[in-house]
Amino acid sequence: MSKINAMMDMGKRSLMNSQTALQTVGHNIASKSVEGYSRQRVDQVTNLPIGEGKLRIGMGAKAAAITRVNNPYLEKQIGLEGSHLGYLTGKQDAMTRVESIYNEQVNKGLNQYMSEFFNAFKELSNNPESLATRSLVKETADYVTKDFKRINAQLTGVQNDLDQQIKSHVNEINGLTTEIAGLNEKIQSVELTGASANDERDRRDLLVKKLGDKVNIRWAEGEDSTVTISAGNNALLVAGYDAKELFVQSTSENGTKGEGNFDVMYKSSESATPYKVTDQLHGGAIGGLIEVRDIVINDLKDGVDEMAYSLATEVNDIHSQGFNSYNQTGVDFFQQPEDVKHAAQYLKVNDDILKDASRIAAGESPGASGDNRTANKIAGLQFEKILSDGNANLDEYYNTMVGKVGVIAKKTNNAHDAQDSVVKQLNSIRESVSGVSLDEETTKMIEFQKAFDASARIVKTADEMMDTVLNLKKL
Amino acid sequence: MRIADKMNYEQVTSNLGRNRTEMADLQNQAALQKKVTKPSDDPLGATRILGMRTEVNGNNQYMKSISNAKAFLEYSEESLGALSDALVRAKELAINQANDASAGPKTRELVASEVTQLHSQAIQIGNRKLGDRFLFGGYRTQAAPFDQDGNYHGDNGLMEVIIDKEAKLAMNIPGNLVFLGRGLKAPATGNPDPMSLESMPQTEPHLRPVHEHKPQSTPDYELPPTTIRAPASEKPMESSEEITRKQAELERKLSDRGIDVFSVLKGFETALKTNDKPAIQESIDKIDTAIEQVVLARAELGSRVGTLNATSDSLSKGTIDAKTMSSNIEDADTFQLVSDINKAESTLKATLATSGKLIQPSLLDFIR
Repeated sequence: MSKINAMMDMGKRSLMNSQTALQTVGHNIASKSVEGYSRQRVDQVTNLPIGEGKLRIGMGAKAAAITRVNNPYLEKQIGLEGSHLGYLTGKQDAMTRVESIYNEQVNKGLNQYMSEFFNAFKELSNNPESLATRSLVKETADYVTKDFKRINAQLTGVQNDLDQQIKSHVNEINGLTTEIAGLNEKIQSVELTGASANDERDRRDLLVKKLGDKVNIRWAEGEDSTVTISAGNNALLVAGYDAKELFVQSTSENGTKGEGNFDVMYKSSESATPYKVTDQLHGGAIGGLIEVRDIVINDLKDGVDEMAYSLATEVNDIHSQGFNSYNQTGVDFFQQPEDVKHAAQYLKVNDDILKDASRIAAGESPGASGDNRTANKIAGLQFEKILSDGNANLDEYYNTMVGKVGVIAKKTNNAHDAQDSVVKQLNSIRESVSGVSLDEETTKMIEFQKAFDASARIVKTADEMMDTVLNLKKL
Repeated sequence: MRIADKMNYEQVTSNLGRNRTEMADLQNQAALQKKVTKPSDDPLGATRILGMRTEVNGNNQYMKSISNAKAFLEYSEESLGALSDALVRAKELAINQANDASAGPKTRELVASEVTQLHSQAIQIGNRKLGDRFLFGGYRTQAAPFDQDGNYHGDNGLMEVIIDKEAKLAMNIPGNLVFLGRGLKAPATGNPDPMSLESMPQTEPHLRPVHEHKPQSTPDYELPPTTIRAPASEKPMESSEEITRKQAELERKLSDRGIDVFSVLKGFETALKTNDKPAIQESIDKIDTAIEQVVLARAELGSRVGTLNATSDSLSKGTIDAKTMSSNIEDADTFQLVSDINKAESTLKATLATSGKLIQPSLLDFIR
């Protein structure tokens, strides 16, 4: 049996439903630009009808739940691809810096200084008596050593810079994991009541993606709505409500990592001994940075060291057998480096020669100022295969190094561009699913506004009906 | 497909970003006039450009070395020309004074003083300098190679300079070769192909002292007949041992085949002063040998200058080739570039125009 009160009540609930829906529309519009937001929608279901006999009267609808429109598998894919993009971005940034060190397209670099150095010896061979030519040799040699130093210092500079970047990434990672652990707790407590923690989940998804951009992680959501995240092989970062921190520490040289550069450390509990996870981090921005720092740059440093060492040793071998203007022999041209390692850093023209260019030897016989055989032999080193076990001359070796840097940079750029469009594409698909469309929201706004109007009309009608009933007696 | 607002905005941003990047790249290329501005633009090309640059730098230096060596060689040659003039004059005098018809003790006395002049002139030539370097001292370029008696204080040093990647060439001829006739050799008959670099190293052996050469076996060794002819002072009758000894002596002489220019002149002078007609006649032959010797040396120097010229030509050609090649790799094609920029610009304009249209309308604009 229908009742006016029930009708009024239904109108009231309908008004509230419309309000809920309108409020959700408002939330969607307001959150339209929030990163990682998924549009929400109100699931309305009809109430249990009441009735007797053959009449079952519908009792209107109710808002059952507010859910977000989201494809978790897509999110996971974006996370994976995004992590790779993060890696490539890190590598690309670092490689751009490295590349500029070797860029001789526009600036003068080691290649040119080296050829000037050998040309100076050819000039000395033309004028073995001349002090002016010797000074030229000294100057060009000084430039060569300075350029070796420059390259080495700039490479070290990039490494140190990457260290700082790694450090700030690690700090951000710690911030992210702490927030994710907090969200775990919140989501769990919200969802225990049976509601869906939409905004918190959006936020957590976003943070996990961001974490993945920085470092290679594996993660999974448990039955209890919390996510568990581990980085590298098994460094557990987030478990339940707990977040464990990574930290950086400058440790002694190990593996390919140079002296003084940062290692990323992990501690499983307050009392546990920290252990090194640097080698396990091969993904995300940190992975890219570590790769460039420890592999690419160290490789290049070894290369310039080998060049500097071979140059110094070979030139010294010849020079020390020659006789200088004072008829002295056995004088080294460069300060002989003790070891291949750090040879570029410490390469220096012999102090005696720096002070007095007359100590440069041009000839092989004493007292013969026109003897230019030593100068000729040193000049001939330019094209002698003294590097890579006799497979490359200085020029080829250096040019190959430049080519190698170019190839790595180019490959990284290309891969980055490709990956970037993959991620963009995926994000676009995600927007298509979860993004807010103003047109759509406006339409919904009109729809629910009309529903609100109509519901009000129902209440009003019920009210009038009630009036009619109450006025029956006055007739 | 469901289009969310963010998709539009992101698409617009990313499209505009791409267009702007392209414009910036092209702009950069236009400003530098280079299409390879960093190694990653073209890693292989960048490597080759560096190689070319070394080549060009090297070639410039070789050209410098060549012009330096050329000056040295040409001045040496000129000096030897003067020396041979002096010797020719001595020969004239010798012929003149070798018979009693046109000469007598008095004229010989007179001519002797001219020969003294010629002798000291020859020594002066031997002590000639280019800049502050003596031409004929071997490696000892800072001290006069000859004293007044014609003793040599230089050494055998050949100042080789690098004139190309694989080639060296001596820019001097030590004084003891030309003036004292130690180990001089005839110039190679065939000029090596001047344009081919491969032939360069082959020119080297003939620049070096040639003691190892056996005169009989080498066709180049057209010995001047004067040296083969037995000296006039030799006695007609000799024992067989004596002959063998003489033979060995002759062979030794042949092997260094030279003659001391100064002692020839000195001998001639003494012969004139002592009015020794046979000795004067003998001097004619000796002076001939000396002239021959100087001419050989001049020819040698001349052929080296020829080698230098040829090398210089091939170096300039190499430089042009290297520059062309690196220009092909790294220089921007201006026409292409301008057309690319125009294209990029119109694309950018189109993107901007459509972006404006894409972003503007929304349902909200139509509800009042």
